[in-house]
Amino acid sequence: MTKPAVVLIGGDKGGVGKTTVARTLLDYFAHQQLRVRAFDTEVPRGTLKRFHPDLTDVVDINHVPDQMRIFDTVNSTDATVTLIDVRAGLLSPTLHALRNIGFIEAAKKGDITFVLFHILGPSIASLDEIVDTAAYLGDAKYFMVKNFINNTYFFEWDEATTEAYFKRIPGAVGITIPKLVEMAAEQVDLASVPFATFIGNKKQGGASASYSFVLRGYVRHWLEKTWAEYDRVGLTDILEARESSRPPIGRPRPIIKIAEA
Amino acid sequence: MTGKTTPLYVVCSPCRRVGKTLVSRLLAEFYVINNRPVAAFDLADEGPQLADYLPGITTIADIADTRGQMAFFDRLIAADMGARIIDLSHRVFKNFFTVVDEISFFEEARRRSIEPLILFIIDPDPKSAKAYGILRHQISQASLLPVRNQVKTTETPHARPNANITPTSLDIPLLNFPLKAVIDRQSFSFSRPWGTSPADLPVLLKEELSRWVERVFFQFHTLEVLLGCA
Repeated sequence: MTKPAVVLIGGDKGGVGKTTVARTLLDYFAHQQLRVRAFDTEVPRGTLKRFHPDLTDVVDINHVPDQMRIFDTVNSTDATVTLIDVRAGLLSPTLHALRNIGFIEAAKKGDITFVLFHILGPSIASLDEIVDTAAYLGDAKYFMVKNFINNTYFFEWDEATTEAYFKRIPGAVGITIPKLVEMAAEQVDLASVPFATFIGNKKQGGASASYSFVLRGYVRHWLEKTWAEYDRVGLTDILEARESSRPPIGRPRPIIKIAEA
Repeated sequence: MTGKTTPLYVVCSPCRRVGKTLVSRLLAEFYVINNRPVAAFDLADEGPQLADYLPGITTIADIADTRGQMAFFDRLIAADMGARIIDLSHRVFKNFFTVVDEISFFEEARRRSIEPLILFIIDPDPKSAKAYGILRHQISQASLLPVRNQVKTTETPHARPNANITPTSLDIPLLNFPLKAVIDRQSFSFSRPWGTSPADLPVLLKEELSRWVERVFFQFHTLEVLLGCA
């Protein structure tokens, strides 16, 4: 039987594209025919919910009833994947709360697959954030995401410094989200539909739309490249891990350097 | 949409002054003379350009930014405008094919019964052979046909870089100098040569021009048949 999986998307800085990555993941999971539910922690009105209203609930992750709503149902829901878009500044408190409720321990025991997408900012502070975050991770799959969609330049990242940080987190895997043509990103945002729906020239609800063919082409090309990154890191295999196939805790994993843009 | 397949010609070369606009003009007037719908797009940035010769059917386009690309490609693919001819400047060559690849333009065109044909004007410049090789390797959703333009060419036949790797080609035959000067005039029209040629042009030259145009137009007709657009 497939283990339930929790995918956390976060980063302590705002404006680094957490929700964009969450949206690409929801499209990817749908394409892979994975049953998924999503939680948006941007209360009271989440951005993720605007794009994926049928899949998404808005929750306040600081409130115990909402924590119960998410984590107490991980095993009982029809969805095998629970995706949580953690709003800016809440990544460390969320990980802290997960440790306190025994979630990290459950992941360590192999009862749950825990995947963290850490969306990095361009500053050196992001590297410190990596170390802080790693302290909570246990046996989670840890993906460090360089997101170029909003024209970020990782100019402050000295290679030697970066490598020194990365070495402290064995098993961390880098993912690069390429840049999307600005006007295409804006149009999808205005349309308030999933990327895949925009490419298919549909509105929310399935009615035909009249989006620009050029912009749809750019979004398709970009989404394919992004999904290729998820394929490269074997995301589907990770999420479809079965309870009997869990690796022994503490098994050494290879260090994969973050991909260069 | 009529459901009938219509051709989309991309007349191109990575080099300048090889006769792209001449081939585009001939193609456009091939449709005009047969009273068939045609729309030409001028992506040239130096004159005299297609819009100078055929202002009535030519739209000037600029694909340097996303807004311009939307205005150009969205229109090109959406409207039922008959044959489409793109006169592509050597400066836009790389950007055009990059965008086309990124947005899967040719694939979408074929889905909409628009059959793309790249008319690549060969030239002795090494970058021409290189670009032709790249296109031949990368473009799978459009036909690619070399064009030997003897009106412009200066090389000897054995110096042609692609002569031995291209099984078929479109040939624009040699034209003698006085006639070349005539067709270069912006007032000249291939679809009504008698009305636009100088009155004092000797009959022999007029007949030669007529035969030259017929020879080119016959090849266009053959191309249409091969594309399934006739």
